[in-house]
Amino acid sequence: MIQRHQRIVFWCMVLCILAMAGWLAYERHRGRERIERLADATPIDAPTATTESVMLSLANDSDGTIVAAGRQIALPAEQTARARALIDHLVAEYALPGSPHPLTSGAAVNEVFLIPLPLMGHAVSVPQDSNNAGHETSVPVASTDPNDPQPSSPGGELAVIDLRGSFVEQHPSGVEVESLTIASILGTLHANLPQIEQVRFLVDGQPRETLAGHADLLRTYPSRDTTTTPRP
Amino acid sequence: MLTSLAPGRASTQALAPQAGLPPAKPAAPALPAVPMPVQLNRMTIFIDPGHGGIDSGSRIGEATLEKNVTLALAFRLRSLLAARGFSVILTRDADATPPNAAGQPITLDDRAGLANHAHPAACLLLHATGSGVGVHLYSSELDPADAEPQPLPWLLAQAAWVAQSRLLERQLASALGKAGVALVRSSASVRPVDSLTCPALVVELAPQSEDPDSINFADYQQQVAQAIAGALVFWPSQVQPPVRLPVPSLPTAGAQP
Repeated sequence: MIQRHQRIVFWCMVLCILAMAGWLAYERHRGRERIERLADATPIDAPTATTESVMLSLANDSDGTIVAAGRQIALPAEQTARARALIDHLVAEYALPGSPHPLTSGAAVNEVFLIPLPLMGHAVSVPQDSNNAGHETSVPVASTDPNDPQPSSPGGELAVIDLRGSFVEQHPSGVEVESLTIASILGTLHANLPQIEQVRFLVDGQPRETLAGHADLLRTYPSRDTTTTPRP
Repeated sequence: MLTSLAPGRASTQALAPQAGLPPAKPAAPALPAVPMPVQLNRMTIFIDPGHGGIDSGSRIGEATLEKNVTLALAFRLRSLLAARGFSVILTRDADATPPNAAGQPITLDDRAGLANHAHPAACLLLHATGSGVGVHLYSSELDPADAEPQPLPWLLAQAAWVAQSRLLERQLASALGKAGVALVRSSASVRPVDSLTCPALVVELAPQSEDPDSINFADYQQQVAQAIAGALVFWPSQVQPPVRLPVPSLPTAGAQP
């Protein structure tokens, strides 16, 4: 004869087992959803072309050098997106473990703007004759300021690189490490986008004096081959 | 107020930019029509201990701040240069940077303005780093120019002085090499070196050895300061300031078509 309290204990245990089974099934379902989200291959960015060979100018803090290194990466066709992708790929290389020029991971660039040189403005022209009175026309005018950047060859462009504040805030401080980052960006752009002749930097859309207390971010840098040889 | 000090007269001063000195950029006084050499106070050395106050600069090792290293090295240089008859101008002689005319801590442009007003024979911008060893000397990356144009572009003011800066760099490198200090020479765009109208160098002190704390060793800092001060002894007779071009004449109103 099974006593009443034993039956109560039995059914309580059955209820607990069912509850635990239900909880496990729920957690399993959540885990599966999480893994499926991670494996989601839905494209977020516009599709890019197949991989192509690019040349990165990679910095090395230990000997203060910049060396050229080839990589196969996929790049968008549009030039400004291309410049941005190149810089982001460069910074991603520096974020890898064991990097000779360690930087924090994450996107470095908000946007890159490519501006044809010489810089052009627009002047409003008012016709003198009475027939066209009130019909103002806007005509493009090249800057007359001798200090403004000038192209060294036809088709030359000025690249304005808008760096992310988060990248700048976390950049290591020091003359050499900051100069190497700048030189690395300049060399990479020069090697892969030769139409870029000069480069300026902004940080979150604003001019900023230095990268991390040392390297000048106000000047206009020439885009050039920055590869160097190891110091003796 | 800044005054032109007679050669050989030893004095030191920390600039107080609020004392009647606007943070002006290179002024264009009335100039003669022919190019004239820029005036120099040949026995004045300008030293800018980088950072200060809330701007600590980089962290070296666990507990050393760049601003403290630059100030310590500046004090050593000031003493050694004063003993050699130089007038030394420091942009700060305490942790905090002095206020400018607006009551704010002096900016990098203010520091360049102070140097340009003083017309020193050499401008040394002191920095410190935990990477590498020894001393890193940097001169401006600007392309050298033959003369100072008028008006002088603020961000290109150093161009006419680049040749003299590189000559000074060679002098200091030679002295540091003889003193047995590890040395790196290069060029870099470090604010505000491109705005200086004097032979200008960035002197970045790195640790003596792999131990980052060795940057604080008194013997090491004194060794570096003595080498730099020794190299500057003959500099006043060697520095050759560039000529300043006359201000281009502006068309008068009556000359307009």
